Amino acid sequence: MINAWRHGDEARRDDAATWVVRLEAGGLDDAQAVAFDAWLSASPQNVQAFDAALSVSRAITANAAPLAAALPERRTVRPDLGRRAFVGVGAVAAAAALAVVVAPGVLGGPETQTYVTAKGERRSILLADGSTVDLNAGTRLTVTLARDVRAVTLVEGQAVFDVAHDTARPFLVAAGDRTVRVVGTQFDVRRREGRLSVTVARGAVEVRPSQGAPGTAYRLRPGQRLDHLEGAQIARVSAAEPAEVLGWRTGRLVYREQPLAEVIADLNQQWATPIRIEDAGLAATPVSGVLILDSQDAVIRRLALLVPIRAVRSDAGVILRRDAASDR
Amino acid sequence: MSQHGAPAGPTDPLLEIYLERRGNLVRFFAARTGSASVAEDLAQELYLKLASRDRSEVTIENPIALIYRVATNVMLDRARGEARAGAREAAWRTSAHVTFGGEDVAGEPPADEAVASRQRLRQLVEAVDDLPPQMQRAFRLHKLDGLSHADTAQRMGISVKSVEKHISAALKALTARLGR
Repeated sequence: MINAWRHGDEARRDDAATWVVRLEAGGLDDAQAVAFDAWLSASPQNVQAFDAALSVSRAITANAAPLAAALPERRTVRPDLGRRAFVGVGAVAAAAALAVVVAPGVLGGPETQTYVTAKGERRSILLADGSTVDLNAGTRLTVTLARDVRAVTLVEGQAVFDVAHDTARPFLVAAGDRTVRVVGTQFDVRRREGRLSVTVARGAVEVRPSQGAPGTAYRLRPGQRLDHLEGAQIARVSAAEPAEVLGWRTGRLVYREQPLAEVIADLNQQWATPIRIEDAGLAATPVSGVLILDSQDAVIRRLALLVPIRAVRSDAGVILRRDAASDR
Repeated sequence: MSQHGAPAGPTDPLLEIYLERRGNLVRFFAARTGSASVAEDLAQELYLKLASRDRSEVTIENPIALIYRVATNVMLDRARGEARAGAREAAWRTSAHVTFGGEDVAGEPPADEAVASRQRLRQLVEAVDDLPPQMQRAFRLHKLDGLSHADTAQRMGISVKSVEKHISAALKALTARLGR
């Protein structure tokens, strides 16, 4: 509880942080509001301490995406418990305890779970092994946690995987005719309209042809991105900024020389009203820039600053035309 | 002291209390919305709301509590207005936990406004990385991954109260290290 009448810098910093965290999380009831007001009014140093804590908190929120990408792999809670739950004898009690804290349906053998997000919806899931998966909008994937392997199939869409380290159980993500193999790392996989891309933020992953598919295997390190057209033999590996690629989790899409068609495919996962591009030449126009996902209209307006387009609304959705007037 | 000038006509005790506490209220709004400019706006709106209230209520039991209650309503009214303006977009903003009030996201910031300098970012990363494991995990789930306190608690298998403690302690440590 916050005690408004303690003194000393230490207590002051405690109180300041507690008030900031409490206010950021939700409202105050009458008694708390009166206590908050009294605490701030009690001394100018309290006000200073509050402002300092608030400004650090906001700096962290503003930089959440690059921070998340730059920080070393998340330490998982009780990884041993998670593993033990799957190795039989004596695991019943552990499994029962675990059932309280983890996502449902992962106990009792390698059941396959399906996770789906609708347009405009994002979702974060925790797997029983301590790994987390963030699903972008319009994504469908299945997860099977077996004794010797953790298998995910990305049917469609985009997800960031933050994989708990477990050498005994490789983490495999199948996406079309390629499979990404992981030991413990954070990476983004995107599969839309027959195009696959994999970007690694931490650790290392291997992208190899799925069983029976032709092609070469690639090993990716942090800051590398692989692009692959399904059915093709090869893939292209290039440098990428993971913080940018993973930015969608905080509502930022960052593009560097990506075709407009790809940008629109991403945007069309966010809103019900479809956006179409009128001609193929325009669809291939490279786009570089940052798009903040707030409203569809605002995003299209900002997109028009990056590429010479004009948006026309119709019953069938938004049509993008080349804007002759602003041809640059 | 007052940024509104003296209230016209017979003095209204509630408005006087408001004016004395305007700084506190702006801080309340700033922490709740994550935006200094939205906070200023809301403080102004709150003043208008208080000035135009129904004064048939003769005695006010607890004027400070009342002001904060009205403040909360002003904030919710604005949030509802935004929700009506674009339900899907508002939902998106909330889930992205970038901000309430649309300021940070909708204010068309230049591409790199939100991005700290490389050096500052390194400081932030190091400071967060040095936090003790449980504290760090709670802090990261909430602040970086955008989970609520309740969701963070569920994911970590600890109580909401413990989550609040972890996150507060983390913010205190980070402020001591990075503040000023």
